[in-house]
Amino acid sequence: MAHLIELRGVFKIYGEGLESEVRALDGVSLTVDPGEFVAIVGQSGSGKSTMMNVLGCLDIPTRGDYFLDGTDVRELTDKELSHIRNKQIGFIFQQYNLIQSLTVLENVELPLIYQGINADDRYDLAMEALERVGLAGRVKHKPTEMSGGQQQRVAIARAIATKPPIIMADEPTGALDSRTGHEVLQFLQQLNKEGSTVILITHDNGIAATARRCVRLQDGKIVEDRQQEVDWL
Amino acid sequence: MNIRQAIKMAWKSILGKKGRSMLTMLGIIIGIGAVMTIVSAMNGYKEKTMEQYKAMGSDQLQVSIYSWMYDEDGNSLAPDYFPDLYDYCVGLEGVVGVTPNSRSWDLTVSYGTKNSSNMQDYQVDEKGNVVGDMPPNVYLVSDQYSMCRNLTIARGRDLSVLDTRNYNQVCVLGARAAKTFFGSADPVGKTMQVNGCKFDVVGVYASRIEGEDYQSVRVDNFIILPYTARRVLGGEQPTDFIVKCSNSDVMMEVKSKIEGFLKGLVDRNTGDAYVDMENSWQQYEAEQMGMISLVLGGIAAISLLVGGIGIMNIMLVTVTERTREIGIRRAIGAQRSSIVTQFLMEAAMLCGIGGILGIGLGTAGSVIAGRLMFQMTIYPAVWITVCAFSLSVALGIIFGIYPAVKAANLQPVEALRAE
Repeated sequence: MAHLIELRGVFKIYGEGLESEVRALDGVSLTVDPGEFVAIVGQSGSGKSTMMNVLGCLDIPTRGDYFLDGTDVRELTDKELSHIRNKQIGFIFQQYNLIQSLTVLENVELPLIYQGINADDRYDLAMEALERVGLAGRVKHKPTEMSGGQQQRVAIARAIATKPPIIMADEPTGALDSRTGHEVLQFLQQLNKEGSTVILITHDNGIAATARRCVRLQDGKIVEDRQQEVDWL
Repeated sequence: MNIRQAIKMAWKSILGKKGRSMLTMLGIIIGIGAVMTIVSAMNGYKEKTMEQYKAMGSDQLQVSIYSWMYDEDGNSLAPDYFPDLYDYCVGLEGVVGVTPNSRSWDLTVSYGTKNSSNMQDYQVDEKGNVVGDMPPNVYLVSDQYSMCRNLTIARGRDLSVLDTRNYNQVCVLGARAAKTFFGSADPVGKTMQVNGCKFDVVGVYASRIEGEDYQSVRVDNFIILPYTARRVLGGEQPTDFIVKCSNSDVMMEVKSKIEGFLKGLVDRNTGDAYVDMENSWQQYEAEQMGMISLVLGGIAAISLLVGGIGIMNIMLVTVTERTREIGIRRAIGAQRSSIVTQFLMEAAMLCGIGGILGIGLGTAGSVIAGRLMFQMTIYPAVWITVCAFSLSVALGIIFGIYPAVKAANLQPVEALRAE
């Protein structure tokens, strides 16, 4: 089976050649197959956020190859990268990253707008996603009128509205209390069961335990990559 | 992302910050208002004056024949050239009419208690109505004057060939002159005095121009006499003539033919003759007016430029403030072009709305300016309105490009990190 994600000797170096050179990723190689649930764990400064940016096509590696679904990402134009972020990847961020001036529904519709889907289908898809996260009753609210847990559920709805094959969650529970964090992780497991490939980035070993596979990063290098007992929630 | 979505987004963003949007637009509103007031007031004035020239005829040639033969007492010995010119022009293709066009400053016209030497000028009262009387222009002309000046008889009859040939002491009045001397009574059949000589009113011309404003009423304030009336009134033979052409295209041809004819008619040792396009001085005046409006419009355009820079400034602030939003949009799949469209649309709409408000201001401005400066009611022409709107939208796009491109070129990762 072809790998969904394949990193081959990827470097991300800031200020290369300077004394202050920082190797955020230092020769990382990694493959992820469709349907996997991978936790990328590391302390702050270990390079896990850079990893997420590279995997999410938000950032381009300095050196090395990145094949996403067989496509060499380094060869792609900005337009094609935008297209991949839009269609293939659903992002969930620690700070939710909702647009405050838009309503819940408009936030969830946003990636669909960039896909050029017409208004009726857009509404249906967005509502479907919001129903899945249990927020169909609050679509006219602004994010600021909601709790953190609810906002993160809106962000999840936005991530799944386009039905992407890959979900990338960067510290999705970081700003939440343990109970709502638990709900979010449960939801990620549910999505994985349904066939989505989930990549979870965290510094917390307990949270990493919800994933079937754990990849540990340290100083920009993979120091551990193992299958583990899943802590089903 | 389609245009409708972009419009919706821009509209939301503008409404979201009403106070700031209004202040930003102010520059455009004032700029467009000022440019429009100046251009449309000047243009309105020019058009109205042109309309008046047209009413008097703008496809005319001005023929001047001078002679410097005098007797010992200093009286002119110039012959009457007009019958020859008349006969030549009657047979010339493209000529509608020919007449002497001597405005006579030495003639006083009176009827009853009304005497032109007591008349001063029209006054405009506070309501904008024209009151008072003005001395009518007295012209000594041929029977073809009405054809040359686009006049039609309203009452009585026009001058005829016999009137000039037989030295008949008759006159025809312009509509305003008839009103001046006779009020609402019928002047036909009445006898007026011109420098003490009796002249019968045989006809009255219809009014040529609508409107009761100061400029319009002067057009029909005239009295015509057969030019041969000089025999009883004294004075010199006519030296200025007009030849009316059927249209402006044949003017040059007719002009050269008449010039050729005059060469054979006038002895260059004792006199001279010219043919000119008529109304050239009025056109010159109108062009001068155009120049003035260009200069004033240019000054006003500078305020538009300043307004546009204001738009750019605010858009740059907006982009900075919304860096994170741009990052989010990029992360979930917005292309650079979508971001450019979004911010460009916002700037264009901001300016477009400002433009519409500016057009309102400019319309009010041109009405007021027309009243104060020209005693006319001037509404902006449609093309000025369309131009003003297009200009404001264009300003938005021009000054929106830099901030929009700046927004689109933000790196997604860095934009997401912004607070």
